[in-house]
Amino acid sequence: MQSRFLKTIPMKLYVLLAAVVIFAFFSNDFGLVDIQKTAIILAVGIDRAGDGYSLTTQIAVPKGSDRTTGGTSSVEIETKGATVSDCLTELEAVTGWVPKLVFCNLVVLGEDAAKEDAFAALNYFLRNEYMPDSCLIAACEGKAGELISSQSAIDDASSLAITKLFSDASVKSGATLPNSLKDFAIDHYGASESGYLPYLRAIRQEGEQQAAGGSQGGGGGEQTPQNIYTAQETALFSKGKLVDVLPPEQTFALSLLQGNVFSGTFSAEEKGEPVTLTVLEDDGGASLSMDGGPSVKLSLRVKVRLCCRGLAAPIEDVASDVVPQEVLESAERVLSESVGALFERSRAAGCDVFFLRRSLYRSSLRRYAEWKDDLLPAIVPHIETKVVSMH
Amino acid sequence: MNRISPRQLFFFLACVAPVGKIVLLPARLAEFAKNDLIFPAAVHFLVQALLVFCVLLLVKCGKSFYELLEDTFGKIAAKIVICLFALFLLFAALLPLLEQKLFVQSVFYDTLPSLVAFSPFFLFAAFLCAKPLAGFGRVWDVLAPIAIAGMAGVLLLSVGSADYAALLPVGAGKAGFFEALRTAASWFFDSALLLPLLGKIDYEKGIAWKGTLCYLAGAAVALFFLATFYGVFAETSVNQLFAFTKTSKYFSGITVLGRIDYLFIFALALVMAFYCAMPVQACVECVNEAFGRRPYLPTLLSVAFAAILFTLSVLLDYRFGEVLFAVTGALVWVYPVFTVLVPALSLLLRRDHAK
Repeated sequence: MQSRFLKTIPMKLYVLLAAVVIFAFFSNDFGLVDIQKTAIILAVGIDRAGDGYSLTTQIAVPKGSDRTTGGTSSVEIETKGATVSDCLTELEAVTGWVPKLVFCNLVVLGEDAAKEDAFAALNYFLRNEYMPDSCLIAACEGKAGELISSQSAIDDASSLAITKLFSDASVKSGATLPNSLKDFAIDHYGASESGYLPYLRAIRQEGEQQAAGGSQGGGGGEQTPQNIYTAQETALFSKGKLVDVLPPEQTFALSLLQGNVFSGTFSAEEKGEPVTLTVLEDDGGASLSMDGGPSVKLSLRVKVRLCCRGLAAPIEDVASDVVPQEVLESAERVLSESVGALFERSRAAGCDVFFLRRSLYRSSLRRYAEWKDDLLPAIVPHIETKVVSMH
Repeated sequence: MNRISPRQLFFFLACVAPVGKIVLLPARLAEFAKNDLIFPAAVHFLVQALLVFCVLLLVKCGKSFYELLEDTFGKIAAKIVICLFALFLLFAALLPLLEQKLFVQSVFYDTLPSLVAFSPFFLFAAFLCAKPLAGFGRVWDVLAPIAIAGMAGVLLLSVGSADYAALLPVGAGKAGFFEALRTAASWFFDSALLLPLLGKIDYEKGIAWKGTLCYLAGAAVALFFLATFYGVFAETSVNQLFAFTKTSKYFSGITVLGRIDYLFIFALALVMAFYCAMPVQACVECVNEAFGRRPYLPTLLSVAFAAILFTLSVLLDYRFGEVLFAVTGALVWVYPVFTVLVPALSLLLRRDHAK
């Protein structure tokens, strides 16, 4: 039985109420941000400061009001506290800005913070619902605060210059191995308790140049050293602590083993002269076997073409991209050595960079319980490298 | 016509009912059962499917739940039972409601919005609940394609980021299996939601097994979502509240296209808004029937219940953790009583003559 009153309620009211609910749910306050009251954080650098932390935040500011007249203007502010959260509270206290991490796309760990315990520093970001866990994360040489505050030679904000290093093109070149907060956390909290991050270094440009903003002032502007950045090395982590840094050639080998590389280059030799090869196909992997004791097969099969010789060559040779057998053999040697060195280096550091403990855990709980502490020292590597020419 | 057709019922069982299980439940399951999170959920789905079958067997007699109780126990006892059942429905509405509120505030807003953002829901719920329960049939007709599109979109954008090997080894989370089973009970009350619908569903041959199959189909999708969720977040799943809003954001195209997954998340959020209101409306229907279907009673009840829930949501604004702890802990025994025992025992009620 339905009351007459209810029957007369028009359908329009239904639609109106539904519209109000949809409006309230999905409006997101129209995405409006009061920039005068909000610190839009682009990047953070975390360093140890005594028993606590020093947090350097790079904050976007309205254009034209600060150092630059175009692009992205930013200011860097350093705050200190017992925890990262305290540092952000301090930031709000000293600037009056409410820190907003939604746009934060880069977290850099200083060397001390990374060596002591990366996840103590990252704890706040893992808990924060408003922090995108897809943000890039890296370790750096020295202080993260100095890196974040440094003047980039190629961009207005250092963080924007650094994130360019982690573009898809860079990943495919094999030159760098970016990682996100989410994936780094999964690797750490998984059975392997290991992980890796790109290791950043600032490289000061030769000679001191004028800062981008200073050049507009005309005559006598502040001289700021400008930097470019490199992320070709890879920091290895075990139980959350930075334990070693892989050189560029081992970073490249790890990229190859992950099957990431397309159009990346590496050098081999022909009659003692350098020859650069381009990787066109990369099929790499690490497979664990427990038959007759633990062993790992590190296999690489790459298809290459000749990219460049270090010497002048006849035009017929320039027109051909066929890779001579001698170069292929040299390339196999180079890659095998890099993979072998990578394996031994990560093993010595106690970093399960190939996630072998995780493989064992997923395949057999019983064997994992038996081997989890002794797997890395006991494992025997078998390296299989095959380099073939595209033609 | 205020009747629910079998098609509308099947839409609810297959498309709407599973949506309520993909907000906070996945993280709670991962907390206890770890990579085995799909097993406790599967047990609950199977139990509920069996009970859905039992409840739908009662459709044929054409009586409402209250009439069945009245014919078996008499008026007084029937009133007591139905009021207790209505109280349970109001209690069961609390968790999805607070869950939805927290989700809207956390996911759809970059900073914590004022209470105003969620409060229109109660106005909406009050209006919706004043309508006859059978009116939900038409709502399900509309919601089913929205739910299908939302779920399909979220899953399609998520599967590429999932490493399903993270679900291995089977048995790693067996120590927390029973704890997960106990905690998850608070999210499974679908068979209880069907009881107030009795007497309002058009009978068709085979409605019980067809309805059960539809429920199992929806359950399969929900379980696949759980597997995908764990595949995306692995060991960090326990930290990922509002599961369905998170799995799709790692889709590679999002860096180019922006958060297109929000379209599907909005669709599912819309379905959830109705799902949250359903226990309240079922509660209104139960009380209304027990007290003789007086004019204005549904309106008064729906306003009163919406006001109660609004007050609770204001009072418990920053106490969701405590509510969750209580509802999935000390008070969790309430759920098996009303979502397992009552639907199962309802088969014993007298249904010898049709109304």
